[in-house]
Amino acid sequence: MLPAPLVIGTSLAYLLLLVGVAYWADRRAAARRSVIARPSVYALSMAVYCTAWTYFGSVERAATGGMWFLPIYLGPTLAMVLGWTVLQKMVRIAKTHRITSIADFIASRYGKSQLLATLVTLVAVVGIVPYIALQLKAVSSGYALLTSGSAVAPAHLHWSQDSAFYVALSLAGFAIVFGARHLDTTERHEGMVAAIAFESLIKLAAFLCVGVFVVYGLFGGLGDIFAQARARPDLAALLHAEQGGAYSWARWMGLMVLALCAALVLPRQFQVMVVENVHEDHVRRASWLFPLYLLLINLFVLPIALGGLLYFSSGVHNPEHFVLSLPMAAGQNALALFVFVGGLSAATGMVIVETVAVSTMVSNELALPLLLRLRLLDAAHQPSDFTRPLLMIRRAAIVGVLLLGYVYFQLAGDAYALASIGLISFAAVAQFAPVLLGGMYWRGGTRAGALAGLIVGFGVWVYTLMLPSIAKSGWLDAGFLTAGPWGIAWLRPESLWGLQGLDSLTHSLFWSLLTNCAAYVVVSLWRAPSGREASQALLFVDVFRRGTAQTPVFWRGRADAAELKRLCERFLGAEKTRELWRGYAKQAGLPADQALVPDARLVQFVEAQLAGAVGSASARVLVASVSDEETLSQGDVLAMLEEASQLRSYSRALETKSRSLEKATSELRSANEQLKSLDRLKDDFMSSVTHELRTPLTSIRALAEILQGDAEVPPQQRQRFVDIIVQETERLTRLVNQVLDMAKIESGHIDWRLADIDVRALLEKAVATTAALLSDRGAEMQLDLPDALPPLHADPDRLLQVLLNLISNAAKFVPPQGGRVQLRARGDGQGLTVCVQDNGPGVPAGHERLIFDRFHQAGGPTPGGQGTGLGLPISQHIVAHFGGRLWLEPPAPGAPSGACFCFWLPWHPAFSGDTAP
Amino acid sequence: MSHTLRSQRLGALFAAGWLLLNFPLLGLWDSDLSVLGLPLFPLALFVIWGAMIATVAWWMESRPGLETPVASEPELPQVQVRD
Repeated sequence: MLPAPLVIGTSLAYLLLLVGVAYWADRRAAARRSVIARPSVYALSMAVYCTAWTYFGSVERAATGGMWFLPIYLGPTLAMVLGWTVLQKMVRIAKTHRITSIADFIASRYGKSQLLATLVTLVAVVGIVPYIALQLKAVSSGYALLTSGSAVAPAHLHWSQDSAFYVALSLAGFAIVFGARHLDTTERHEGMVAAIAFESLIKLAAFLCVGVFVVYGLFGGLGDIFAQARARPDLAALLHAEQGGAYSWARWMGLMVLALCAALVLPRQFQVMVVENVHEDHVRRASWLFPLYLLLINLFVLPIALGGLLYFSSGVHNPEHFVLSLPMAAGQNALALFVFVGGLSAATGMVIVETVAVSTMVSNELALPLLLRLRLLDAAHQPSDFTRPLLMIRRAAIVGVLLLGYVYFQLAGDAYALASIGLISFAAVAQFAPVLLGGMYWRGGTRAGALAGLIVGFGVWVYTLMLPSIAKSGWLDAGFLTAGPWGIAWLRPESLWGLQGLDSLTHSLFWSLLTNCAAYVVVSLWRAPSGREASQALLFVDVFRRGTAQTPVFWRGRADAAELKRLCERFLGAEKTRELWRGYAKQAGLPADQALVPDARLVQFVEAQLAGAVGSASARVLVASVSDEETLSQGDVLAMLEEASQLRSYSRALETKSRSLEKATSELRSANEQLKSLDRLKDDFMSSVTHELRTPLTSIRALAEILQGDAEVPPQQRQRFVDIIVQETERLTRLVNQVLDMAKIESGHIDWRLADIDVRALLEKAVATTAALLSDRGAEMQLDLPDALPPLHADPDRLLQVLLNLISNAAKFVPPQGGRVQLRARGDGQGLTVCVQDNGPGVPAGHERLIFDRFHQAGGPTPGGQGTGLGLPISQHIVAHFGGRLWLEPPAPGAPSGACFCFWLPWHPAFSGDTAP
Repeated sequence: MSHTLRSQRLGALFAAGWLLLNFPLLGLWDSDLSVLGLPLFPLALFVIWGAMIATVAWWMESRPGLETPVASEPELPQVQVRD
């Protein structure tokens, strides 16, 4: 047992820590460094699904039914598998229409129906009050167990002495701090979400701790627990699926359907998943992280249940409290306290989010319409700023819902185990699923259909589940359960129309969802949707088809801009309104101070902004009160949609046209650039060629003129001049030949003669041909060839030309003494690599690319003036023609100096036909 | 829409999960056998559940592969031209 002040002090400290986390997150959000803008935080906040019911009730269910606690978590897993499509669509719709709650969502879909919103709110309140009672019960009985050793509180305390009453009040206080401190037009609560995510971590950690403690501290591991359980027949049964009854599998599936619906439509799940969603893409991470969280928190449920049953063999301890009583029995009070804090986390998280969600609904869908109807909100009666009264309504709603929960707890708390209360609640809110999901995917659903579905489904729920549970608590004569009302047997609430064999929950779920869906579909099909229903249906079902900018505006009538602005000021505050007005003007491209035209788009804008604060149904009523709206028929809606889609297709066509025009322009521009550069190249080429031609011509002419004009030249000198003239003429010839070669290659007019070449023979021929040149330069040739090489398919003459060019280039640059040229060849599976290495000065840095340009001669004019500057470009072209490449090997650090030119050729070149013989 | 492939896969997984976690397929595991000391039925439930989560995680986190349809082109021998 623990002293009460310690437990209370720890709990309060923990709750204050949560407030601290929320405050910190709010501060960060204000500084635009949001902590909740992460997918993992989003997923953790979804774990608000795991309440005190998970924490205490799952163990109880496992202790009585084995694995039957699990369908409640398998359902959400399956729901999240579809999260990518369904949940993302919900988020997109909610963001587009500034939806603030599930009541708002459903009402907005069916033509912004006030009646529907009110109905959904009422069902939600009725549905969640038992659930809140459950949290109070869990916390107060946990507290009683920790402090007195017995979970049963002393019977019938006066409320002023009851711990649950104070738990309820303090939770209301915290919920107000988290959710109703200020009014936000998007209903987003950054601090609350951060605190919930934090709580999710704490409750998971605490549950895992107690699981590990039970399995490894009290027992010798999982194997030990299961072995001991198998030894006892009553516990061995818990390890099996079948828990009696032929319909038990139907019950299993029913629970999964129930949990699947609940995970999407519970007001708190809707709040954290849809309203508090920061970014649509976070759904991606959450769709597996949230199920993973559920898996982890359920991992030790069965071992703890079995462990408790084995440990307390007498059965005096309630399985609901095994997570607390096991550590306490083992003397681990600190662990028990931590586990209690975990349970407190689970309970507070649920209560806070649920009451905030419900208070939003109550204020927007119940209180506000009432005030509007009673004309209490006319400008004459009310202060111009309405944000404060709205906040007060919310706070009152939070306190009210919690007090209702407390009353329920006082009245019914003892009659039912935690788990049963939870399931009754789930079944009530599951009635939202058909109208919600149907509305998202079926355009035909109408307001009347939704109303019928909800009323019938909820009615059947009350009759088949709620009334029996009240009767079993002893406030009603239980006779009608067994004999049926007025003795009519087929109206018995737990076997309606004589359906027997199902347990009461599955039975109720089956009939309520069946009649709900049937009423929804049948009544919807009764008549065609009205204009407003049709327009909202289009906006919801096709939300992914159009961007926000292209949303058609379904509104026609007369409005006054000043009136609209005044309306905004009353509900959103003056400053916020100014900001919004500026934003709207900016978006529309108007000067900020200009009076806005009260067109349909402005009306829609104002209505959307108000919807964020007061819900779509109230917003519509408010806007209608200051404007003159024409009623639209379904035909009008379709015409407007047609118009919008025509506009859209026009603008799309225009976009396509302008894009293709842009593309054509850029293509033309680049073609022009290419032409220009080719022209420049041609000019350069011409001037280079004429320059190259002029040099030998000049010397020939000079020498010839000397010979012509001076007969006295000595014969020896004359001979030398003539030799030079012949040499220069040869150079001219060579130059002209190479220019012709180049031109032919480039224009593709060259004749390629293909043959299988013996590479060794070709290389040796090249060496023999250049032997004289090399010996003139006093250089030595080294050959490094493998013994055998496969034949190479290429043009032998052209290849020889490449080799001669590379070797003569090398010969030109070797030093006068000790010159050395090395010719290397290597073959591999793909092709042949040949390298020509010299020991000359190498290619100067920065010229590595330039040497492949025409007429570029490395290091200025070559010794002996032999170069034409066309050799390398021609060689490169030839090699490239055979699918190979020619390159200058970068000098390896530490290697001897000199240039190394290599080329690679495939053994069998792949040609483009035209040049093949 | 680039989401189509992923949506279809998830739809298929939903159907598979629904079948695997319900009668009669789930009933196949309901036996007295145990694996490494763990009873088969609870173990099978958690393994199937975990496998579903892992599959969703895999599809959700491997973004680039799924958003654009992959057209695998035959690999051509690459000719590098250094000039």
